[in-house]
Amino acid sequence: MRLDNPYFTRRKFLNSLLGGWLGAVAASFISPIVKFVWPPYKEPDEVKLVFADYSGMQPGEVKNFVWGVKPGLLKRAQDGSFIAMVGVCTHLDCNVQWMPDKKQFFCACHDGWYDENGTNIAGPPPKPLRRLETSVEGEDLFVRKPGVGATT
Amino acid sequence: MKINMKKFADWFDDRLALTPIFKYMTHKEVPQHEHSIWYYTGSSILLFLFIQIITGIMLALYYQPTLEGATSSIERIMTELPLGWLVRSVHSWTATFMIAFVMIHLLAIWFTKSYRKPREATWMTGMMLLVVSMMFGFTGYLLPWDDLSLAATKVGTNIPAAIPVVGKWVTQFLRGGDDVTGDTLTRFFIFHVCLMPLIIFAVLAVHILLVQKEGMSVPLKDELAKKKVPSLPFWPNFVLREVVIWLLLFGILLTISLAFAPSLGPTADLMAPAPEGVKPEWYFLFLFQTLKIFPANMGPVTGEFVAVLIIVITVVIIFFLPFIDNKPETKKGKVFTYLGVIGVVYAIVFSIWSLL
Repeated sequence: MRLDNPYFTRRKFLNSLLGGWLGAVAASFISPIVKFVWPPYKEPDEVKLVFADYSGMQPGEVKNFVWGVKPGLLKRAQDGSFIAMVGVCTHLDCNVQWMPDKKQFFCACHDGWYDENGTNIAGPPPKPLRRLETSVEGEDLFVRKPGVGATT
Repeated sequence: MKINMKKFADWFDDRLALTPIFKYMTHKEVPQHEHSIWYYTGSSILLFLFIQIITGIMLALYYQPTLEGATSSIERIMTELPLGWLVRSVHSWTATFMIAFVMIHLLAIWFTKSYRKPREATWMTGMMLLVVSMMFGFTGYLLPWDDLSLAATKVGTNIPAAIPVVGKWVTQFLRGGDDVTGDTLTRFFIFHVCLMPLIIFAVLAVHILLVQKEGMSVPLKDELAKKKVPSLPFWPNFVLREVVIWLLLFGILLTISLAFAPSLGPTADLMAPAPEGVKPEWYFLFLFQTLKIFPANMGPVTGEFVAVLIIVITVVIIFFLPFIDNKPETKKGKVFTYLGVIGVVYAIVFSIWSLL
Protein backbone atom coordinates (compact mmCIF):
# COMPACT_ATOMS: atom_id res chain seq x y z
CA MET A 1 0.00 0.00 0.00
CA ARG A 2 1.30 3.46 -0.82
CA LEU A 3 0.46 6.28 1.56
CA ASP A 4 0.03 9.80 0.27
CA ASN A 5 2.24 11.37 2.93
CA PRO A 6 4.25 8.58 4.46
CA TYR A 7 6.35 9.64 7.47
CA PHE A 8 8.74 6.86 6.77
CA THR A 9 9.26 6.17 3.11
CA ARG A 10 10.37 2.86 1.68
CA ARG A 11 13.65 4.56 0.63
CA LYS A 12 14.27 5.80 4.17
CA PHE A 13 13.51 2.35 5.58
CA LEU A 14 15.89 0.60 3.19
CA ASN A 15 18.58 3.22 3.75
CA SER A 16 18.49 2.76 7.50
CA LEU A 17 18.41 -1.02 7.07
CA LEU A 18 21.52 -0.94 4.90
CA GLY A 19 23.19 1.72 7.04
CA GLY A 20 22.46 -0.13 10.25
CA TRP A 21 23.73 -3.36 8.80
CA LEU A 22 26.98 -1.72 7.62
CA GLY A 23 27.38 -0.17 11.07
CA ALA A 24 26.89 -3.54 12.75
CA VAL A 25 29.44 -5.19 10.46
CA ALA A 26 31.96 -2.43 11.23
CA ALA A 27 31.28 -2.72 14.97
CA SER A 28 31.93 -6.45 14.90
CA PHE A 29 35.47 -5.74 13.77
CA ILE A 30 36.17 -3.31 16.61
CA SER A 31 36.47 -5.85 19.42
CA PRO A 32 39.29 -7.92 17.85
CA ILE A 33 41.12 -4.73 16.85
CA VAL A 34 40.90 -3.34 20.37
CA LYS A 35 42.07 -6.63 21.83
CA PHE A 36 45.08 -6.57 19.54
CA VAL A 37 45.99 -2.95 20.25
CA TRP A 38 45.80 -3.32 24.05
CA PRO A 39 48.21 -6.21 24.53
CA PRO A 40 47.83 -8.82 27.22
CA TYR A 41 50.50 -8.24 29.81
CA LYS A 42 50.74 -9.56 33.29
CA GLU A 43 53.09 -8.49 35.98
CA PRO A 44 54.95 -11.52 37.33
CA ASP A 45 53.33 -13.22 40.31
CA GLU A 46 56.74 -14.07 41.64
CA VAL A 47 60.41 -13.98 40.73
CA LYS A 48 63.02 -16.42 41.90
CA LEU A 49 66.39 -15.01 42.93
CA VAL A 50 69.54 -16.84 44.00
CA PHE A 51 69.69 -16.45 47.76
CA ALA A 52 73.50 -16.54 47.79
CA ASP A 53 73.56 -13.24 45.84
CA TYR A 54 71.75 -11.48 48.67
CA SER A 55 72.66 -13.43 51.81
CA GLY A 56 75.73 -11.29 52.44
CA MET A 57 73.78 -8.04 52.71
CA GLN A 58 74.26 -6.00 55.86
CA PRO A 59 71.19 -4.78 57.77
CA GLY A 60 70.08 -1.53 56.16
CA GLU A 61 71.69 -2.35 52.82
CA VAL A 62 69.62 -2.10 49.62
CA LYS A 63 70.12 -4.10 46.43
CA ASN A 64 68.25 -4.14 43.12
CA PHE A 65 66.56 -7.06 41.45
CA VAL A 66 64.53 -7.44 38.27
CA TRP A 67 60.76 -7.42 38.77
CA GLY A 68 59.33 -8.13 35.30
CA VAL A 69 60.17 -5.05 33.28
CA LYS A 70 60.62 -2.88 36.38
CA PRO A 71 63.36 -2.55 38.95
CA GLY A 72 62.73 -4.08 42.36
CA LEU A 73 64.44 -3.00 45.56
CA LEU A 74 65.46 -5.47 48.22
CA LYS A 75 66.36 -4.17 51.65
CA ARG A 76 67.78 -6.11 54.57
CA ALA A 77 65.99 -5.18 57.77
CA GLN A 78 67.69 -4.92 61.16
CA ASP A 79 66.41 -8.39 62.15
CA GLY A 80 67.97 -9.93 59.02
CA SER A 81 64.71 -10.37 57.13
CA PHE A 82 64.17 -8.97 53.66
CA ILE A 83 61.82 -6.20 52.60
CA ALA A 84 61.02 -6.04 48.88
CA MET A 85 59.53 -3.05 47.08
CA VAL A 86 58.81 -2.13 43.49
CA GLY A 87 61.34 0.58 42.70
CA VAL A 88 58.91 2.75 40.79
CA CYS A 89 57.76 6.13 42.05
CA THR A 90 54.05 6.21 42.92
CA HIS A 91 53.74 9.71 41.49
CA LEU A 92 54.44 9.35 37.78
CA ASP A 93 56.24 6.02 37.37
CA CYS A 94 59.90 7.04 37.26
CA ASN A 95 62.46 4.61 38.65
CA VAL A 96 63.64 5.60 42.13
CA GLN A 97 67.12 5.20 43.55
CA TRP A 98 68.53 4.45 46.99
CA MET A 99 70.55 7.25 48.56
CA PRO A 100 72.73 5.36 51.09
CA ASP A 101 74.06 8.44 52.93
CA LYS A 102 70.57 9.86 53.48
CA LYS A 103 68.96 6.44 53.99
CA GLN A 104 66.13 7.48 51.71
CA PHE A 105 64.76 6.59 48.29
CA PHE A 106 64.80 9.42 45.78
CA CYS A 107 62.95 10.03 42.51
CA ALA A 108 64.74 12.52 40.29
CA CYS A 109 61.78 13.26 38.02
CA HIS A 110 59.80 15.48 40.38
CA ASP A 111 61.94 15.48 43.51
CA GLY A 112 60.05 12.78 45.43
CA TRP A 113 61.43 11.24 48.65
CA TYR A 114 60.65 8.05 50.56
CA ASP A 115 62.13 6.91 53.87
CA GLU A 116 64.06 3.66 54.19
CA ASN A 117 60.82 1.69 54.57
CA GLY A 118 59.42 3.14 51.37
CA THR A 119 57.00 5.56 53.04
CA ASN A 120 56.50 8.77 51.07
CA ILE A 121 57.87 11.67 53.12
CA ALA A 122 58.42 14.60 50.76
CA GLY A 123 57.54 15.85 47.31
CA PRO A 124 54.62 14.81 45.15
CA PRO A 125 54.41 11.00 45.70
CA PRO A 126 50.90 10.22 46.99
CA LYS A 127 51.57 6.70 48.29
CA PRO A 128 54.40 4.59 49.75
CA LEU A 129 56.44 2.40 47.41
CA ARG A 130 54.57 -0.80 46.60
CA ARG A 131 55.56 -3.67 48.91
CA LEU A 132 56.20 -7.23 47.81
CA GLU A 133 56.53 -10.33 49.96
CA THR A 134 59.74 -12.29 50.33
CA SER A 135 60.55 -15.77 51.46
CA VAL A 136 63.76 -17.77 51.58
CA GLU A 137 63.20 -21.34 50.46
CA GLY A 138 66.38 -23.40 50.45
CA GLU A 139 68.79 -21.96 47.88
CA ASP A 140 66.23 -19.56 46.51
CA LEU A 141 64.89 -16.19 47.51
CA PHE A 142 61.34 -15.68 46.26
CA VAL A 143 59.75 -12.28 45.79
CA ARG A 144 55.98 -12.43 45.42
CA LYS A 145 53.02 -10.21 44.88
CA PRO A 146 51.15 -9.94 48.20
CA GLY A 147 48.46 -12.55 48.53
CA VAL A 148 49.72 -14.80 45.74
CA GLY A 149 51.34 -17.41 47.96
CA ALA A 150 53.83 -20.07 46.91
CA THR A 151 53.18 -21.43 43.44
CA THR A 152 55.87 -24.11 43.49
CA MET B 1 59.30 16.17 -32.49
CA LYS B 2 57.66 19.26 -31.17
CA ILE B 3 55.56 18.77 -28.10
CA ASN B 4 52.53 20.94 -27.93
CA MET B 5 52.52 22.00 -24.27
CA LYS B 6 49.17 23.65 -24.58
CA LYS B 7 47.60 20.43 -25.79
CA PHE B 8 49.31 18.53 -22.99
CA ALA B 9 47.98 20.94 -20.37
CA ASP B 10 44.52 20.85 -21.89
CA TRP B 11 44.46 17.07 -21.72
CA PHE B 12 45.17 17.16 -17.98
CA ASP B 13 42.70 19.92 -17.38
CA ASP B 14 40.01 17.96 -19.17
CA ARG B 15 40.57 15.07 -16.78
CA LEU B 16 41.34 16.85 -13.51
CA ALA B 17 39.53 20.18 -13.95
CA LEU B 18 42.15 22.16 -12.03
CA THR B 19 41.64 25.49 -13.80
CA PRO B 20 39.19 26.84 -11.20
CA ILE B 21 41.81 26.33 -8.48
CA PHE B 22 44.48 28.24 -10.42
CA LYS B 23 41.94 30.90 -11.25
CA TYR B 24 41.04 31.19 -7.59
CA MET B 25 44.71 31.58 -6.63
CA THR B 26 45.23 34.43 -9.08
CA HIS B 27 42.08 36.21 -8.00
CA LYS B 28 42.55 35.74 -4.27
CA GLU B 29 43.28 38.98 -2.41
CA VAL B 30 45.14 39.32 0.87
CA PRO B 31 44.11 42.33 2.99
CA GLN B 32 46.87 44.74 3.99
CA HIS B 33 46.69 46.37 7.43
CA GLU B 34 48.73 46.78 10.61
CA HIS B 35 48.27 43.11 11.59
CA SER B 36 49.00 41.57 8.16
CA ILE B 37 52.36 40.27 9.35
CA TRP B 38 50.61 37.46 11.23
CA TYR B 39 49.26 36.06 7.95
CA TYR B 40 52.79 34.83 7.23
CA THR B 41 52.90 32.56 10.30
CA GLY B 42 50.52 30.09 8.65
CA SER B 43 52.63 29.54 5.56
CA SER B 44 55.78 29.41 7.71
CA ILE B 45 54.26 26.45 9.57
CA LEU B 46 53.66 24.77 6.20
CA LEU B 47 57.33 25.30 5.34
CA PHE B 48 58.38 23.64 8.61
CA LEU B 49 55.97 20.76 8.04
CA PHE B 50 57.47 20.26 4.59
CA ILE B 51 61.02 20.20 6.05
CA GLN B 52 59.84 17.70 8.70
CA ILE B 53 58.43 15.38 6.05
CA ILE B 54 61.63 15.43 3.98
CA THR B 55 64.08 15.07 6.88
CA GLY B 56 61.75 12.61 8.64
CA ILE B 57 61.67 10.27 5.65
CA MET B 58 65.46 10.55 5.39
CA LEU B 59 65.94 9.61 9.05
CA ALA B 60 63.41 6.76 8.82
CA LEU B 61 65.51 5.13 6.07
CA TYR B 62 68.13 4.23 8.68
CA TYR B 63 66.39 4.45 12.05
CA GLN B 64 65.47 1.19 13.82
CA PRO B 65 62.61 1.34 16.32
CA THR B 66 63.78 -1.45 18.61
CA LEU B 67 65.36 -1.64 22.06
CA GLU B 68 68.65 -2.82 20.62
CA GLY B 69 68.71 -0.72 17.49
CA ALA B 70 67.30 2.68 18.37
CA THR B 71 70.23 4.49 19.96
CA SER B 72 72.87 2.77 17.86
CA SER B 73 71.03 3.48 14.61
CA ILE B 74 70.90 7.18 15.49
CA GLU B 75 74.57 7.02 16.39
CA ARG B 76 75.16 5.58 12.93
CA ILE B 77 73.06 8.30 11.28
CA MET B 78 75.07 10.93 13.11
CA THR B 79 78.56 9.53 12.61
CA GLU B 80 78.59 7.46 9.41
CA LEU B 81 76.03 8.89 7.02
CA PRO B 82 77.01 11.95 4.99
CA LEU B 83 75.57 15.00 6.76
CA GLY B 84 73.44 12.65 8.89
CA TRP B 85 74.10 14.73 12.00
CA LEU B 86 72.76 17.78 10.18
CA VAL B 87 69.63 15.98 8.98
CA ARG B 88 68.85 14.97 12.57
CA SER B 89 69.68 18.43 13.84
CA VAL B 90 67.40 20.09 11.28
CA HIS B 91 64.59 17.64 12.10
CA SER B 92 64.95 18.32 15.82
CA TRP B 93 65.22 22.11 15.44
CA THR B 94 62.38 22.32 12.93
CA ALA B 95 60.15 20.65 15.53
CA THR B 96 60.95 23.50 17.89
CA PHE B 97 60.39 26.13 15.19
CA MET B 98 57.16 24.53 14.06
CA ILE B 99 55.63 24.38 17.52
CA ALA B 100 56.81 27.92 18.30
CA PHE B 101 55.16 29.18 15.14
CA VAL B 102 51.97 27.23 15.79
CA MET B 103 51.81 28.98 19.17
CA ILE B 104 52.51 32.40 17.66
CA HIS B 105 49.89 31.71 14.98
CA LEU B 106 47.37 30.80 17.67
CA LEU B 107 48.14 33.83 19.84
CA ALA B 108 47.94 36.20 16.87
CA ILE B 109 44.46 34.86 16.10
CA TRP B 110 43.54 35.00 19.77
CA PHE B 111 44.49 38.67 20.14
CA THR B 112 43.07 39.82 16.80
CA LYS B 113 39.96 37.74 17.58
CA SER B 114 39.99 36.30 14.09
CA TYR B 115 38.21 33.21 15.39
CA ARG B 116 34.93 35.13 15.51
CA LYS B 117 32.05 34.11 13.30
CA PRO B 118 32.29 32.62 10.63
CA ARG B 119 35.75 31.20 11.46
CA GLU B 120 34.92 29.05 14.51
CA ALA B 121 35.63 25.77 12.73
CA THR B 122 38.94 27.11 11.44
CA TRP B 123 39.96 27.83 15.04
CA MET B 124 38.86 24.39 16.23
CA THR B 125 40.76 22.54 13.50
CA GLY B 126 43.71 24.80 14.36
CA MET B 127 43.53 23.68 18.00
CA MET B 128 43.53 20.07 16.81
CA LEU B 129 46.63 20.81 14.76
CA LEU B 130 48.32 22.29 17.84
CA VAL B 131 47.59 19.15 19.85
CA VAL B 132 48.76 16.90 16.99
CA SER B 133 51.95 18.97 16.61
CA MET B 134 52.68 18.57 20.32
CA MET B 135 52.00 14.84 20.05
CA PHE B 136 54.47 14.68 17.17
CA GLY B 137 57.01 16.29 19.47
CA PHE B 138 56.18 13.99 22.36
CA THR B 139 56.41 10.75 20.35
CA GLY B 140 59.53 11.92 18.52
CA TYR B 141 61.27 12.71 21.79
CA LEU B 142 61.28 9.03 22.81
CA LEU B 143 62.72 7.68 19.56
CA PRO B 144 66.43 8.26 20.38
CA TRP B 145 65.76 5.97 23.38
CA ASP B 146 68.32 7.57 25.66
CA ASP B 147 67.98 7.90 29.44
CA LEU B 148 66.30 11.32 29.40
CA SER B 149 63.77 10.43 26.73
CA LEU B 150 62.78 7.26 28.60
CA ALA B 151 62.12 9.10 31.86
CA ALA B 152 60.19 11.87 30.08
CA THR B 153 58.03 9.28 28.31
CA LYS B 154 57.33 7.40 31.54
CA VAL B 155 56.06 10.59 33.12
CA GLY B 156 54.17 11.76 30.05
CA THR B 157 52.36 8.49 29.40
CA ASN B 158 51.44 8.13 33.07
CA ILE B 159 49.64 11.48 33.19
CA PRO B 160 46.38 10.23 31.55
CA ALA B 161 46.19 7.50 34.23
CA ALA B 162 45.17 10.20 36.71
CA ILE B 163 41.83 10.50 34.92
CA PRO B 164 39.28 8.09 36.42
CA VAL B 165 37.79 5.21 34.40
CA VAL B 166 39.29 5.83 30.94
CA GLY B 167 42.71 7.11 32.03
CA LYS B 168 44.29 3.72 32.72
CA TRP B 169 43.15 2.55 29.30
CA VAL B 170 44.74 5.52 27.56
CA THR B 171 48.02 4.92 29.37
CA GLN B 172 47.99 1.25 28.35
CA PHE B 173 47.20 2.22 24.78
CA LEU B 174 50.08 4.69 24.65
CA ARG B 175 52.55 2.30 26.28
CA GLY B 176 51.40 -0.93 24.72
CA GLY B 177 51.00 -2.42 28.19
CA ASP B 178 51.27 -1.34 31.80
CA ASP B 179 54.87 -0.20 31.51
CA VAL B 180 57.16 1.58 29.10
CA THR B 181 58.98 -1.18 27.21
CA GLY B 182 60.31 -1.93 23.74
CA ASP B 183 56.68 -2.14 22.61
CA THR B 184 56.24 1.50 23.58
CA LEU B 185 59.17 2.48 21.37
CA THR B 186 57.79 0.63 18.34
CA ARG B 187 54.35 2.05 19.01
CA PHE B 188 55.61 5.62 19.31
CA PHE B 189 57.50 5.19 16.05
CA ILE B 190 54.32 4.08 14.28
CA PHE B 191 52.35 6.94 15.83
CA HIS B 192 55.07 9.37 14.75
CA VAL B 193 55.55 8.20 11.16
CA CYS B 194 52.20 6.71 10.21
CA LEU B 195 49.19 7.47 12.37
CA MET B 196 49.82 11.13 13.14
CA PRO B 197 50.86 12.12 9.62
CA LEU B 198 47.50 10.73 8.45
CA ILE B 199 45.70 12.76 11.11
CA ILE B 200 47.64 15.96 10.47
CA PHE B 201 47.05 15.78 6.70
CA ALA B 202 43.32 15.22 7.14
CA VAL B 203 42.84 18.04 9.66
CA LEU B 204 45.19 20.36 7.80
CA ALA B 205 43.24 19.84 4.58
CA VAL B 206 40.03 20.94 6.30
CA HIS B 207 41.85 23.85 7.99
CA ILE B 208 43.30 25.20 4.74
CA LEU B 209 40.06 24.65 2.88
CA LEU B 210 38.21 26.68 5.52
CA VAL B 211 40.78 29.48 5.29
CA GLN B 212 40.19 29.61 1.51
CA LYS B 213 36.43 29.42 1.90
CA GLU B 214 36.17 32.27 4.42
CA GLY B 215 39.06 34.34 3.10
CA MET B 216 41.51 36.18 5.34
CA SER B 217 39.98 37.98 8.30
CA VAL B 218 40.34 41.74 8.63
CA PRO B 219 40.87 43.62 11.90
CA LEU B 220 37.76 43.78 14.08
CA LYS B 221 37.51 47.57 14.05
CA ASP B 222 37.67 47.69 10.24
CA GLU B 223 35.01 45.01 10.02
CA LEU B 224 32.73 46.89 12.41
CA ALA B 225 33.29 50.18 10.53
CA LYS B 226 32.62 48.29 7.29
CA LYS B 227 35.81 49.86 6.01
CA LYS B 228 37.26 48.59 2.74
CA VAL B 229 40.73 47.36 3.60
CA PRO B 230 43.35 47.66 0.84
CA SER B 231 44.61 44.33 -0.41
CA LEU B 232 47.38 42.59 -2.28
CA PRO B 233 46.93 39.90 -4.95
CA PHE B 234 47.81 36.46 -3.53
CA TRP B 235 49.63 35.55 -6.73
CA PRO B 236 52.28 36.71 -7.34
CA ASN B 237 52.66 39.60 -4.86
CA PHE B 238 51.85 37.86 -1.59
CA VAL B 239 53.55 34.60 -2.55
CA LEU B 240 56.74 36.48 -3.40
CA ARG B 241 56.76 38.00 0.10
CA GLU B 242 56.11 34.57 1.59
CA VAL B 243 59.04 33.08 -0.30
CA VAL B 244 61.34 35.79 1.06
CA ILE B 245 60.23 34.93 4.59
CA TRP B 246 60.64 31.20 3.91
CA LEU B 247 64.21 31.65 2.75
CA LEU B 248 64.97 33.85 5.73
CA LEU B 249 63.51 31.32 8.17
CA PHE B 250 65.28 28.44 6.46
CA GLY B 251 68.56 30.34 6.76
CA ILE B 252 68.04 30.92 10.47
CA LEU B 253 66.99 27.32 10.98
CA LEU B 254 70.02 25.94 9.17
CA THR B 255 72.40 28.24 11.04
CA ILE B 256 71.06 27.16 14.42
CA SER B 257 71.06 23.48 13.36
CA LEU B 258 74.70 23.73 12.31
CA ALA B 259 75.75 25.39 15.55
CA PHE B 260 73.66 23.45 18.06
CA ALA B 261 73.20 19.85 16.96
CA PRO B 262 71.30 17.72 19.50
CA SER B 263 73.31 15.25 21.52
CA LEU B 264 72.59 11.59 22.20
CA GLY B 265 72.62 10.28 25.76
CA PRO B 266 73.45 6.74 26.88
CA THR B 267 70.99 4.03 25.78
CA ALA B 268 67.97 3.89 28.06
CA ASP B 269 68.05 1.18 30.70
CA LEU B 270 64.61 0.11 31.96
CA MET B 271 66.11 -0.85 35.33
CA ALA B 272 68.20 2.26 35.92
CA PRO B 273 67.00 5.01 38.24
CA ALA B 274 65.68 8.14 36.57
CA PRO B 275 68.57 10.49 35.76
CA GLU B 276 68.85 13.89 37.41
CA GLY B 277 67.45 16.82 35.49
CA VAL B 278 64.63 15.02 33.69
CA LYS B 279 62.93 17.66 31.58
CA PRO B 280 60.47 17.41 28.76
CA GLU B 281 60.76 19.47 25.59
CA TRP B 282 60.48 23.23 26.19
CA TYR B 283 56.85 23.39 25.07
CA PHE B 284 55.80 21.02 27.85
CA LEU B 285 57.81 22.76 30.59
CA PHE B 286 54.95 24.87 31.94
CA LEU B 287 52.73 21.78 32.17
CA PHE B 288 55.60 19.88 33.84
CA GLN B 289 55.97 22.67 36.41
CA THR B 290 52.19 22.80 36.95
CA LEU B 291 52.19 19.08 37.80
CA LYS B 292 55.10 19.62 40.16
CA ILE B 293 53.49 22.30 42.35
CA PHE B 294 50.38 20.29 43.20
CA PRO B 295 50.61 18.45 46.54
CA ALA B 296 50.43 14.67 46.69
CA ASN B 297 46.86 14.55 47.96
CA MET B 298 44.07 17.08 47.93
CA GLY B 299 41.29 15.77 50.11
CA PRO B 300 39.91 12.54 48.67
CA VAL B 301 41.78 12.79 45.33
CA THR B 302 45.41 13.04 44.28
CA GLY B 303 46.91 16.41 43.42
CA GLU B 304 47.87 14.98 40.06
CA PHE B 305 44.22 14.37 39.23
CA VAL B 306 43.30 17.95 40.09
CA ALA B 307 46.18 19.25 37.96
CA VAL B 308 45.23 17.07 34.98
CA LEU B 309 41.58 18.06 35.37
CA ILE B 310 42.46 21.77 35.29
CA ILE B 311 44.64 21.27 32.20
CA VAL B 312 41.94 19.29 30.36
CA ILE B 313 39.23 21.86 31.20
CA THR B 314 41.48 24.69 30.02
CA VAL B 315 42.14 22.96 26.70
CA VAL B 316 38.42 22.30 26.20
CA ILE B 317 37.60 25.97 26.95
CA ILE B 318 40.24 27.16 24.47
CA PHE B 319 38.89 24.71 21.88
CA PHE B 320 35.40 26.22 22.18
CA LEU B 321 36.67 29.78 22.63
CA PRO B 322 34.88 31.20 19.55
CA PHE B 323 31.54 30.20 21.08
CA ILE B 324 32.39 31.50 24.55
CA ASP B 325 33.89 34.78 23.34
CA ASN B 326 31.02 35.36 20.91
CA LYS B 327 30.78 39.14 21.31
CA PRO B 328 34.38 40.17 20.73
CA GLU B 329 33.66 43.89 20.41
CA THR B 330 32.09 44.12 23.89
CA LYS B 331 33.57 44.17 27.38
CA LYS B 332 33.35 40.36 27.48
CA GLY B 333 35.66 40.21 24.48
CA LYS B 334 38.22 42.33 26.35
CA VAL B 335 38.15 39.85 29.24
CA PHE B 336 39.26 37.05 26.91
CA THR B 337 42.06 39.20 25.54
CA TYR B 338 43.33 39.72 29.10
CA LEU B 339 42.92 36.02 29.85
CA GLY B 340 45.13 35.36 26.83
CA VAL B 341 47.79 37.71 28.25
CA ILE B 342 47.56 36.00 31.63
CA GLY B 343 47.93 32.61 29.92
CA VAL B 344 51.07 33.71 28.09
CA VAL B 345 52.61 35.19 31.24
CA TYR B 346 51.73 32.02 33.18
CA ALA B 347 53.35 29.78 30.53
CA ILE B 348 56.52 31.89 30.39
CA VAL B 349 56.89 32.24 34.18
CA PHE B 350 56.25 28.54 34.81
CA SER B 351 58.64 27.50 32.02
CA ILE B 352 61.43 29.63 33.49
CA TRP B 353 60.61 28.43 37.01
CA SER B 354 60.93 24.80 35.92
CA LEU B 355 64.46 25.50 34.69
CA LEU B 356 65.65 27.04 37.97
